[in-house]
This record gives sequence, structure tokens and C-alpha cells, in this order.
Amino acid sequence: KKKKKRREQKSFPSQIASLPSPNPRHHPTVGLGASTCAMPGYYDISDILMEDEAVSVAFHVGANGVGLLDPGTETNSVEKGAKIDLPFWLAHELCRRRAVSITIPSCFGQKMKKDVQADAACVDLGTRYPYFYEFGCKLFPLVGDKSIGPFLRHTFANRYKEMLSKSHTASLNAIPKFVLRLSKEEHQLFEAARSSMVEFKKWRVRDLGLMKTTIVGHKRKTDLH
Amino acid sequence: MAGQTDHSISIFSAAEVEFIAEDEMIEIVPNIRMNALNLLCGDFGPFLPQIPCTVPLWLAVALKKRGKCSIRTPDWMSVEKLTQVLEAERESPREFQPLPFHYVEISRLLLDHAHDDIPEVYMVRSLIEDIRNVRFHKVESGLETISGRTHAVKLKNLSAMEVNLVRPFMARVLQAFYKHDSPEMVQQADTSASKRPQVVDRGPRRDLRPR
Repeated sequence: KKKKKRREQKSFPSQIASLPSPNPRHHPTVGLGASTCAMPGYYDISDILMEDEAVSVAFHVGANGVGLLDPGTETNSVEKGAKIDLPFWLAHELCRRRAVSITIPSCFGQKMKKDVQADAACVDLGTRYPYFYEFGCKLFPLVGDKSIGPFLRHTFANRYKEMLSKSHTASLNAIPKFVLRLSKEEHQLFEAARSSMVEFKKWRVRDLGLMKTTIVGHKRKTDLH
Repeated sequence: MAGQTDHSISIFSAAEVEFIAEDEMIEIVPNIRMNALNLLCGDFGPFLPQIPCTVPLWLAVALKKRGKCSIRTPDWMSVEKLTQVLEAERESPREFQPLPFHYVEISRLLLDHAHDDIPEVYMVRSLIEDIRNVRFHKVESGLETISGRTHAVKLKNLSAMEVNLVRPFMARVLQAFYKHDSPEMVQQADTSASKRPQVVDRGPRRDLRPR
């Protein structure tokens, strides 16, 4: 136990919110990935909101005075082995102290995997799990399941292909339906592409006025392949 | 605008790229007599009527607006050359034809302000539009091949405005792919590396932090 404590002391970084490097020996393949995730920063709003997602945890130790967390308890404490839903930021800290163990939430479970395999682009991440990717990145080192990483990447790669063509041609007013299905991160990508495209079009027809029709009229399909 | 608060991607607005493009030199034929202009960016010789001289584009457009010169079309903007370029673009689905870096902006400025100086203006306009569309489709199809192992995407002969168009999107996409890919791809065998000439893969990633 003393050894574990010393390791934890070492792994306490100066910033509180940096990603965990809890124990490189336990997760040898995960260490680098976790620490080189894009650093969201302590003050980043979307990061704070993302950490508010609930995860189901199982307590390893009993905890006194926090009966608030468990709605079903009579005494003001949580028992060992209890299964509770905690917000991610709390679960994350407790997990580092080895007080709880996190169970994989449903968004990375079997059903989701089947959905993604069927058709990644149609999976509705926007309404159900807007923080899908960030959450997965943060969850990855804490949970023993190593398949989350490749699964995230696979999902993203498939959805990206769909998104590519549509985002550039989307106009300012008409919001295609698939935009509602994008997670926050994908939405940022989409916005970046669309706004730059729209701005370019505005610049092109800036002074033309009536001459616009000669440009817009030439809508021939270009046959490349 | 350049230097926005979101420092992760810096965006140039289209007007800014146009401003930079206006530094290109172009030939004009003045129809007035004027003394030499000694400007910070250079000296532009005494202007004599019907003697062609080279000036920056912004100066040419300003003189043209006041009716003091007529602009001579650059060589690459003739109908034959543009048709050649268009055919070549259509034929090679992966490469871009060499075109002047600011061709979009220059052509737009000239077509707006000097359309009486350009022979067959409508043909030139539609050709440039087609070229632009074809190139943009190629950019899109090149972007599709980005996988996790892409460190950089190489797009040769792309013009300034086209680069500006895809810059924020591509920067973010590469960042996102990098974020998702770092530990996993190092383990897996490299069977899915893309072989298209546009995507340059400089080898496996190296751990930057000592463990």
C-alpha cells in the first residue's frame, strides 16, 4: 500500500485538470495516448461541461458523510460495493485514488458498436452523446477496456468521410439534418468548413450585382473519375 | 480575420488574401502622361501615353478606375492557355496544374474592373470558374484519404485562395485524427497507409516525452 501511495504522489501533476497518468505500468499502451490528447485546458467550457456526464461506478471502500450521493441509503454514508452514478469529474478523482472502479457507460457498449458498424454516419451523436469523443478519450485510461480507443477512431474516420463533402457545400441557411447528429467536436469542424466556404462565396460576388447570374448559371458536373 | 481570439486556427478572410494578391505586378498601357512615382515598394517609371509599363496590381486597378490606363491581360489568362489548363486538370485526377499563386484574386479583380480589356470575357470567366471547381473537387477527394498516419497533407500547386478555404477545416481534422490515433496506431501493423501522392507519410511517430 505504501508503494501505491508513493506512486500516486509522483503522478500528481501541477495542474489539476491535466489528463491522468495514474500508473504507466498498469496501462503500458495507454500512457502516451492519454497525455497527448489535445489539451482542453482548465478553463475550457466544453471540457467542464463534458465532465458533467454521469458514469456508473462501484465503490471499493466505504465513505462516510456523503450519503447525498446514494439516494437509497439511510445512514449518511456510502457502503462498500455500492453502485452509484457520479459525475465524471468526481469519478475520475476517486478512481485515481483507487476508491472506485468505473464501469463502461452505455455509449461505448455493445449496442453502440453494432450501430457504428451498421452505418457510422447515421448514429445520432448530437442529441444523445454530444461529448462522445472527448469523453472516450478521458475514459480510456481509467477503464481496463482497450478497445475504446480504436473504436473511437473507427467511428470518427467513417463519419468524417460523410461529413467532408456535405460540410463544404452546405449553405448558410439550410441546415442539413445530419448536422444535428454531430457531436460537439465534429460540429466545430463542420462550422469551420462551412463558414470559410460561405465567406469565400460572399467575397466572389461582392461587387458583381447583376453579373452574378453568369457565374451561378454554369453548374456543370465535372467528371473526374 | 487574421489573429482572431481563437488562436488554434488563424484564419485570413478572403479580403485579406486579396489584399496580399494585389502586390503582384501587371502590365498596363497608360493613356496619360505622368511623372515617375517613387513609392516605398518601388519606383514606377514616368508614364508616357501608349508605352506599356509594369506596376503593382493595386496601382493598376486604381488607375483603371480613374480611366487613366488600360490593363494588359497576363499571359496565363488567354482562352487557349486556360483551356489547356482545364483539360490537363480534368485528365489528371491527383495533380494540380501550375497556375499563378493568386490566380483567383487576380482574375476576379481584372474581370471586375477591366472587363473591356480582356478578349472574350465571358469565355475566360467561365473557364476560370470551371478550373476552380475541378481543383476544389480534387482537394476534397484528396482530403478523404487522410487517415491516422497522416502527418501532413501535401497539395502541390494549390493557389492562395484555395488554401485559405480549406485551412481551418484541414487543421482541425488533422488535430482530431492525431488526438484519436496516437497510441493505437503504433501497435497495429501498417496495412492501411494511404499510397496517394498527395498524402505524404514521413514514417512512424516518435515518442516525444521520455517515459
